[in-house]
Amino acid sequence: MTGQLIQSLVDALSAGATLGLAALSIGLVFGVIRLANFAQAEIITASAYCLIFTWELGWFIAVPLSIIVAVAMSLLMEFAVFSRMRSANPATLLIASFGLSFLLQRVYELMFSNNVRTAPVASGLAQTVEFAGVRIQLLSVATIVIAGLVLLGLHLFLTRTSMGLQLKAAAADFRTARLVGIPAGRVIALSFALSGILAAAVAFVLTVQSGAVGPTFGVQITILALVGAVIGGIDKISGSLAGGFLVGFVTSMLATWLPQEMSNFKDAYVFVLVIGVLLFRPSGLLIKGRGVART
Amino acid sequence: MSEPAGVVSKSVASSQRGLWFRLGPLWSLVSLLAIVYFVTLIISFLGDSVQVQLQYALVSLIIVVALQMFIGTSGVLSFGHVAFVAVGAWTVGLLTIDPELKRNLLPDLFPFLFDLNAPWLVAVVIGGVVGGLLALVVSPVLMRLNGLQAGIATFALLGVVNQVLTYWSSVGPRSGQSMVGIPDVLNLQTTMLFAMAAIVAAWLFQRTRPSRLLRAAREDGIAAASSGINVVSQRIIVFAVSGIVAGVAGGLFALTNRVVQSSQLNIELTFVTLAMLVLGGMLSLSGAVVGTLVFSLVDVLLVRLQNGLEIGAYVVSVPQGARAIILGLILVGMLLFRPSGLTGGREFVWPFRKERPLPGMPPTNES
Repeated sequence: MTGQLIQSLVDALSAGATLGLAALSIGLVFGVIRLANFAQAEIITASAYCLIFTWELGWFIAVPLSIIVAVAMSLLMEFAVFSRMRSANPATLLIASFGLSFLLQRVYELMFSNNVRTAPVASGLAQTVEFAGVRIQLLSVATIVIAGLVLLGLHLFLTRTSMGLQLKAAAADFRTARLVGIPAGRVIALSFALSGILAAAVAFVLTVQSGAVGPTFGVQITILALVGAVIGGIDKISGSLAGGFLVGFVTSMLATWLPQEMSNFKDAYVFVLVIGVLLFRPSGLLIKGRGVART
Repeated sequence: MSEPAGVVSKSVASSQRGLWFRLGPLWSLVSLLAIVYFVTLIISFLGDSVQVQLQYALVSLIIVVALQMFIGTSGVLSFGHVAFVAVGAWTVGLLTIDPELKRNLLPDLFPFLFDLNAPWLVAVVIGGVVGGLLALVVSPVLMRLNGLQAGIATFALLGVVNQVLTYWSSVGPRSGQSMVGIPDVLNLQTTMLFAMAAIVAAWLFQRTRPSRLLRAAREDGIAAASSGINVVSQRIIVFAVSGIVAGVAGGLFALTNRVVQSSQLNIELTFVTLAMLVLGGMLSLSGAVVGTLVFSLVDVLLVRLQNGLEIGAYVVSVPQGARAIILGLILVGMLLFRPSGLTGGREFVWPFRKERPLPGMPPTNES
């Protein structure tokens, strides 16, 4: 029983960590230009395709390449589409990102067909290890470690470097940040690039998990990440992270502990919880008070 | 200062401008009905496969009209209307499938549902009522939210409804299966009449008090609230009415598709219908109609092109799969270069007079 509890806790922590990273990648961009980028899903998919296709060349090529692809796509989206829509409101931007996501999915279909592509990406991580009578998936531990490292790196960047501080300032209050002379274009590009790196980390974890990538690979996690970011408080970087983590953790726990006939409805319970949270804390769990209504 | 659209200016303006002014809004209705009629007429000469596509397009038109009634009027994003479409489709499926067949195909149903049966027209009406009731029940919670939060919460509603319909075999098929055996009763003409009825209903609804008040609140929420408009309660009314229309559309979808499964009534349909609305322009009923028809006609054309279209001595074709990409490009391009849609959020007006916005339709380019 204890073993099962620990095992489910580790799994839930890793699910939460993955979703937390994905939510953070959305929140980082939203904080700066108020875009909830649904097309993040396609950045994840592109990075995952890259891992699948280049894995046989060795991880030291595949992993850096997948990061480069993710960052490049993220920046491309910003320059080709979103930089031309600065005056649009968040709802229009969200719909635009949906359109972009739909478009890119079809492009993937045309390029790589509807069937999933498979490759044994980091198959060494897919095994379980027995540790003091508890069976734990190595991947879950690796996910937690990867998420921890990425977050540590991001934290150091945001608090110790000038560029990072500029980004933090812009995320907190973009207009004031511009007034004190922070270069808007550079900070926006930086937020997209960082969000691309986070997407690559998510793509790595998911690809190792499933070993198979199709055109809609990133959609499921991005939907949940968006939901998580909003209930955590998408206005705040830590809010998105915490909200994403919470949604991932709760979903994973429900999947393990609900009886069979009820676990079919696990996403429904999560969504009901989401509506409840939004009702009482519309601007997010981590934002104090009702916050500023931004419509 | 933005004036409370239409509420103040109407009486003054209409006495000054006389007959044309009062007929202006009627003109927008007539032209929309005429467009729907002629498109249907022309398409019905083009062969069976196109007719089937058109029937789906007309059902989508009703969904988009329902979306416009809410999103266009309130300015609040909703990803949840397909949930009302889904319950409408479910209702019609359960009420029109032959009882004997139902017993065999859907063995886990609540016992009282086995013998419940209705003529298809009654079933569609009941589908609308169920859709409206669902909208009414959830609206006190959802209508308090704005912007991105409203989008996420309505999306969560869609998620809950879809998952319940997928897995709850007491009200439908077992998970992974679909409801089959829905009678073949709906033809193109009847669907067209339903689409026209939806347009008339939406047009009449634009003229009612809740719709006017909510449009005022859309333009300036704080000013509307301080003029004594209870925004939440007006939104609840509008949401429920648009839920009825969406439920009817769901019933018609069931009769058109003749197979109902939850996977067809989910995110993808939400995106496609929203894309149609965005393409035409969210803020006007004309936008909903034009957007749906243009999107569908381009789609028809692209399907033909994929199969190779003969023009004179040439065969023009586009590669398989290019259709969806072109539709996606159109949507993204529209949002980039003309974010207020093809109609720019205006209704059609009598073409032979000086441009003047209709009552209740402020000349906004971007909300």
